[in-house]
Amino acid sequence: MNLDAMVVRRARGEPLQYILGTQPFGSLDILTRPPVLIPRPETEFWTIKLSEILVPPAGRRVSLLDLCTGSGCIPLLLCRLWPSGSVRAVGLDISHEAVQLASDNALAAGIPAASDAANSGENTFTPVLGDIFASATWTSPLLQAPFDVITSNPPYISREDYGKLSLSVKDYEDPRALLGDLPDSEEQRGLSFYHRIAQLISDKRLLKPGGLLAFEVGEKQAGDVRRIVQDKAGIRDAEIWRDPWGKERVVIGRS
Amino acid sequence: MQALRSLRPLLRRPPQPWHRQAAALAAKRPEFPEQLDLNNAKILRVVEKKVAERANLLKSVNESSGHNDIARSKQLKELEPLKEAWDDWSQTLQLLNETTSLLHDADPSMRALAADEHAELTTKLQAYLTHTFPALLLSSSSPTAHLHALLELKAGVGGSEAALFLAELLRMYTRFAGARRWAAHVASANKTDEGGVKDAVLEVRSAGAYEWLRWESGVHRVQRVPATEASGRVHTSTVAVVVLPLVEEAEPSPADDLFKMEDVKIEVMRARGAGGQHVNKTESAVRLTHIPTGITVSMQDERSQHQNKRRAFQILRARLMDIRLTQEMAQRRDARRSLVRTADRSEKIRTYNYAQDRVTDHRLGLSLMNLESVMEGNGLETFVEAMRERHAEETLEMMLEEP
Repeated sequence: MNLDAMVVRRARGEPLQYILGTQPFGSLDILTRPPVLIPRPETEFWTIKLSEILVPPAGRRVSLLDLCTGSGCIPLLLCRLWPSGSVRAVGLDISHEAVQLASDNALAAGIPAASDAANSGENTFTPVLGDIFASATWTSPLLQAPFDVITSNPPYISREDYGKLSLSVKDYEDPRALLGDLPDSEEQRGLSFYHRIAQLISDKRLLKPGGLLAFEVGEKQAGDVRRIVQDKAGIRDAEIWRDPWGKERVVIGRS
Repeated sequence: MQALRSLRPLLRRPPQPWHRQAAALAAKRPEFPEQLDLNNAKILRVVEKKVAERANLLKSVNESSGHNDIARSKQLKELEPLKEAWDDWSQTLQLLNETTSLLHDADPSMRALAADEHAELTTKLQAYLTHTFPALLLSSSSPTAHLHALLELKAGVGGSEAALFLAELLRMYTRFAGARRWAAHVASANKTDEGGVKDAVLEVRSAGAYEWLRWESGVHRVQRVPATEASGRVHTSTVAVVVLPLVEEAEPSPADDLFKMEDVKIEVMRARGAGGQHVNKTESAVRLTHIPTGITVSMQDERSQHQNKRRAFQILRARLMDIRLTQEMAQRRDARRSLVRTADRSEKIRTYNYAQDRVTDHRLGLSLMNLESVMEGNGLETFVEAMRERHAEETLEMMLEEP
C-alpha cells in the first residue's frame, strides 16, 4: 500500500492500527482488521500484570476461558507468556470476523488450537463462535466447564457514552464490541455483560471453586462490577486494579 | 618449519659424554646476539599472578561443588586463554633452554639445526611478550568486553545547523556499525522540519561494541557554512555524544542489582480521557524517574506502551551502569594513581572542519584530511582504533604498576 493512500485513510479518521494492520500487544504483534476491536494499551497492561501474578503450577495444565475475545489478544498473550504446556485457552466471540481474526492471530503467534495439538504439550488457544446470551452456546463440547480462569474485556460503553465517542472508534469498530447494553435490552449503564457472565458463573458453574475471574471495566464501573461479581458470581474479596493512567480498570478475584 | 618439527626428537636426545666438552669450547663465541627481552619480565609476573589467581579460583569452585557460582565460573572461563598461553609459554621456554645447550654441539649440522630452532623459539617467545600476553591480559580483565552500546546524541550550540550535523553523525555511526556487521538501530530520534535531528538514541547490538565506541563520548564540533546560510559565513556548532554500556537482554526481571523497582517512578505521558474501549488513539509515551539519582528517561518512539517501557528501562539501566563504571574507574585511578583517564563528557574531543576537509581528534592530536571518509564511517575507524589502543596501553600500564 502506498503512503499517500494510507495518509488519505488516516485523514478520514480511520484508526492507525487498521491502516498498519497490526498493534503490538506485549511481545505479540496482533493483527488488526475492521471491524474487530483494536487491542488497547490498558488491556495490554493488565494482561501482562495478570501473567506475572498468576503463573500456572508446574505439571498441571490450567483451563482458561476468554469471553468476548475479539482479536484473541488476551488469551494469546497469556499463552505466549506462560510456560509451554501450562494453559489450554478457549476464546468465545459472537462475531464471525472476530473469530476468524483470533484464529489468524493464533496462527501468526504460533499457538495451535486444541484439536491440532493433541498431546503435543504446547499451550493451546481455540477460538469459538457463539453468543453468551444464547443458552445453546453453553452446550458446546468446546466449552467444557468448569474453568480455572475466566478473563473478559466485554463491551462496556453505555448508550449515553456511545453517542459521544470519537468517530475513529464509532465509525470503524464493531458496536457489538463496544456497546455494553444490547439494543433491545433495558438500560443498564453498560453493565449487561457483567450481569450475564456473573449469572452464567453461578448457573452453569463456569468457574472452579478457587478459580480466578478477571474483568476489564469502563471508567467508573469498577465499584458496580465488583458488587455484581461478589453478589452474583460468589467472588470473594474482589480487587480493583488501576491502569497506567490511574483509572480503575480491572476487577479481579477468586471464587 | 615442518622439517624442523620432525627433527625435534633429535634435539632432545640424551646428552652424550662428548657433548659437555664441546659445549664448553663453543661457549667462547656467542653466535646468537638476539636475546629475549626478559628484562621486560614485569608482564610475566602479572601473567603468573593471574594464572595463580585462576588456580585458586578453580580450587574454590571445586570445593564448593554443588553451589553453582555463575560469576566465578565465568571468570574462570575468561582466564582460560591466558592459562593456556602461559602453559605454552612455559613449554616453549623449556624447549629454548634445551636448545641453547645444543648451540655449541660438536656436530656442525646439529649446531645449525639448533640455531634455527633457537631463532624460531625466540621469535615465538618474543611474540608472547609483546602481543599475546598484553592482549590476553586486557581482554581477561575488561569488565566491559561483553557489553553492547547505546549512543545518545544531543544537539548543542548552533540550533538547526547542529541538528543537521547530528543527523550526519547518526548516519556515520550507523554506517560504521554496519561495516562491522553490528546490528545498529535508531531507538529514538527527535526530528526537525529541516531534516535535522535534535536528539537521538542509537542502539548498537554486538558484544564488544561498547569497548570500541566508548571513546566517542564528548563534544563533537563542526565548522562549516550551513546550507541555509546565505552570506557564506562559517558557523561553529556542536553535538554532544554520550556512549553508554548496554547490558545484554534476557534479564530475569526488569530490575537487577543496578536499581530497585520501587525506586523507579513510571509515568504515562498523556491523558486518555475515559481510556479503554472509549479511545483507540495510540498514546504510548512513557517516562521513568529513578528517584535516588534523579535520572529520567522518556520514550515515545515505539508503537506500544509496553515497548516504550522496555526501552526506557533499557536506557535507564545503561545510564546506571555507566555511572557505576565511571565510579569504579575513578576509584581505581585514585587508588593507584594510574594514567587511565575517565571520559569527560564536556570535553571537546573532535572537530569536523569542512572548509579544510579535515577531522581533528584533540585527544590524540591526530588529523585526517579526508572528511568525507570519516562521515562515511570508514575513516572513523582510524580514530576509534587509536583511542582503543591508547586505552589498552594505559590499562596495561596500570596493571604493571600494581604491587
